[in-house]
Amino acid sequence: MILSDLLDLPVHDATERLGYCVDARLVLDAPVVGPLAGARLHGLVVSPRTGTSFMGYERSGLTAPWPLAQWLRHRHRGTFFLMWEDVLRVTTDRIVVVTDATRYDPSPTD
Amino acid sequence: MTASSLPRPPRPRGRVLDARLHLLSRQVLDRHDVPVTTIDDLAFSPVPREGAHDREEVTGARTYVVDALLTGAALVVRVFGGRAPTSVWERVGWQHVSDVGTAIHLGVDGDELDVTWTERWVRDKIIRHIPGGRHDPE
Repeated sequence: MILSDLLDLPVHDATERLGYCVDARLVLDAPVVGPLAGARLHGLVVSPRTGTSFMGYERSGLTAPWPLAQWLRHRHRGTFFLMWEDVLRVTTDRIVVVTDATRYDPSPTD
Repeated sequence: MTASSLPRPPRPRGRVLDARLHLLSRQVLDRHDVPVTTIDDLAFSPVPREGAHDREEVTGARTYVVDALLTGAALVVRVFGGRAPTSVWERVGWQHVSDVGTAIHLGVDGDELDVTWTERWVRDKIIRHIPGGRHDPE
C-alpha cells in the first residue's frame, strides 16, 4: 500500500459517505529500524467536502492570511480524525470504516 | 459538530507527523546536507500485531509502518491520474531517515542510494568526457 492509495479517497461507513481522506497521520513509535523510530500509520484526517488540503489550515490554529484561513476553515468545516483501527477495508475507490467510529479532533497532538 | 467540540484522540507515545503536510514534496538531504530528491509518495508495509489474528481480514486490524520514501513518477500520475506501477518508483528506505523537519535528513551519502543513479550516470558518461569535466572548477 502507498500513501496515494489513501489520499483523496471517499470515506464511507455502512450507511453514508463521511467525507474524503485529506491526510494520513503517522506516529514515530514503531520499532526502531535506523536513526529514527518506525513510522506507524495512526489514523486518517477526513474532510466532509473535499479531498484536497492546503497547508493543514483545517487542522491547525493558523489564522493568517485572514481571508485564506477563513475560506479554508469554512471549506473544511467538520473535519475530523479517525483511528486506523476503525478502518474496515481500503479498496481502489473508497475507504470503509466501522459505523460507530469515533470522530476525534483533527488537530495534531504535538 | 465543530472540530473544537470533538474529543482529543488518545495521545500516542511518539512524535506525530501528518504524511501529506509534513512529508510529501519535502526536500531530502543526505548526511552532508546535499539535496538528494523530494518525496512524492510513501510505501507502507503491514506488520503483525498481537491479538489481531482473528481480524486479519480487517485492514485496520493490521499495523502499517512506513517502509520507504518514494520518488519519481508523481508528475505523470498527477497530470493523467491513475496509479504508477511499483517498478517506476525509486525508494529510499525509512531506515536511512535521521530527522524530519522542514527538510528530511538522511544518515547516508546520496551517492549510496539508487535514487541518484541518473545523476551519477550523467556525471560518469557525459560530464566527465567534456574537457575540464573531471575536476572541480578552479
